[in-house]
Amino acid sequence: MATTESDLGGPADLSEDEQRAVEAQLLRLADDELVQAERYTFWQVRAPTLESDLSISNNAQDELGHARLWYDAVQQLGYSEESLIYESDPSDFQHSTLVELPFAEGDWADAIVRAYLYDVAEDIRLSALEDSSYEIIRNRTSRIQGEEGYHLEHAESWLDRMALDEEASERVQAAIDELYPYALTLFEPVGDVEADIDRLGIRTMTLDEMRTEWETRVESFLTELGFAVPTDAAPATPAGRDNEHTDHWHDLHEEMTASYRNLGRDEATLIMAADDE
Amino acid sequence: MNVDEVKARAGPREFSPKDDLPEEYRQAATRMLEFHANSEIMGAYLERPFIRQAPSIERKMAFSAKVQDEIGHGQMLYRAAESLGVKTREEMLDDLANGDGKFLNCFHYPMESYVETPMIAFFVDGAAMRRQATLKKSSWEPYAHAMDKICFEEGMHVKHGESILRELMNGSRREQRMTQEAFEEWWPRILQFFGPTDDQSTHHDFAAEVGLKTCTNDELRNAFLNTYIPKAKKYGLEMPDEPRIRDNGDGTYEVVEDDLDWDEFFTVSQNEYDGSIEQISGRRQAQEAVQWVRDMMDDQTTTNSGPQTQAAD
Repeated sequence: MATTESDLGGPADLSEDEQRAVEAQLLRLADDELVQAERYTFWQVRAPTLESDLSISNNAQDELGHARLWYDAVQQLGYSEESLIYESDPSDFQHSTLVELPFAEGDWADAIVRAYLYDVAEDIRLSALEDSSYEIIRNRTSRIQGEEGYHLEHAESWLDRMALDEEASERVQAAIDELYPYALTLFEPVGDVEADIDRLGIRTMTLDEMRTEWETRVESFLTELGFAVPTDAAPATPAGRDNEHTDHWHDLHEEMTASYRNLGRDEATLIMAADDE
Repeated sequence: MNVDEVKARAGPREFSPKDDLPEEYRQAATRMLEFHANSEIMGAYLERPFIRQAPSIERKMAFSAKVQDEIGHGQMLYRAAESLGVKTREEMLDDLANGDGKFLNCFHYPMESYVETPMIAFFVDGAAMRRQATLKKSSWEPYAHAMDKICFEEGMHVKHGESILRELMNGSRREQRMTQEAFEEWWPRILQFFGPTDDQSTHHDFAAEVGLKTCTNDELRNAFLNTYIPKAKKYGLEMPDEPRIRDNGDGTYEVVEDDLDWDEFFTVSQNEYDGSIEQISGRRQAQEAVQWVRDMMDDQTTTNSGPQTQAAD
């Protein structure tokens, strides 16, 4: 557990090793949220009902807001939104490949299963960051936790409902089978920096501990609903965390950054007031 | 109540679902509300790709929020329409999907470049604001009530559009040129937003007599031009030579109708324009792809077999 003695302080107080570890933790948070949001936004004006459209839009905007907070924390270490997103190479990103996978039009089961697997992992990750030795991570984690709680309820409530329907159950099961190995990549390491992240108290659970908790929770909830969970699956490759991505990510990144390039921009527009903490 | 009694009583927020209203009034109000609700949905459908393409995270958030607001407006307006007892929301959404539902002319045109987004978010939404502000005085109380919230949010949308326009017109020469080209392409459609001049409009008389409409097309177009021509110029846009717009010098304008393509306008309003077919089919396909989810929800509602906890939405 992090204590005040081991507090890393602010951006200016970090040693080179500390900064490397903080950055590695922040980047995966930012990238995961951005790409998860990007896939959520696909469902805007395409969800099954107006009501589900409004809910999924809320999730998308929450995740975009979280991505913004995490990228902003990375920027305090000397980066820019342009270099991190719009002018970067797709292989600079470290999000899990779970969030970048495409899905068939109308595959609402994919949207819900993906959200569920991600949101449980996010819940665990945030609890492992709430006592982080890096103050900016601690503060922002507590701001985000409430919203992520709603996301989990949203996904679970849809799963409850789909479990009662035969056709929907089949679709959910297919999504679980496909996505589970990709979800495991959420707990894959980013190079050799993980030991430092743990040692410095930036995160208070190891990746293994987080994965174990995730497996237990996911298995127990989904089994209860009558679904089979592929517990002996190995993490999918590419993992994303190691900067290796599927071609789908390259396509998505291309599309996300096309306007920026076509307009010849060299600055990502800020329109909201700067964060006061 | 018969039609004469309705005309005699007509005033802002005068009628509600408690009133026994004649079929003619209910039909007219349904037609207006359905058109308005459909337009919210199709406007959102048109703008949706720019959530992904917006060139910064904060712009993405604004686009996502705007698209969500439009869906929320659609939801409120369909509810206000349903309360007239003529059509259910499902029937209206089905009609929209199968090409029978009508919606605003500007949402029938494809939008391919980011520089086109303020043509909708600033000019079309600005034009819509003019009309919508007058609908707060609609005689159908649920419509007027929905407009209170919708107008507030539309005000934010226009600011969003204005901010994008300002940024583009303060950007590189290339951005400015692309934006001017988009403006020239969209301007005639924007002028047609208010429909033909009053003497050609078919539905106006009755709607005005029963208080569903409180301003004429010409009044709304004048109010729009008075505000938006100076704004367009302020941001450095040049007014195209055609369609010709004569400034009468007294706060009114005359748009030379012959300079506008009314054949295209009426093709658009019949959903028969190429863009209409593309937009309607694209959305129908997306809706059909999730029909299985709606079927599941319907089954669970009728058999009461849904989860007993808070319903998923």
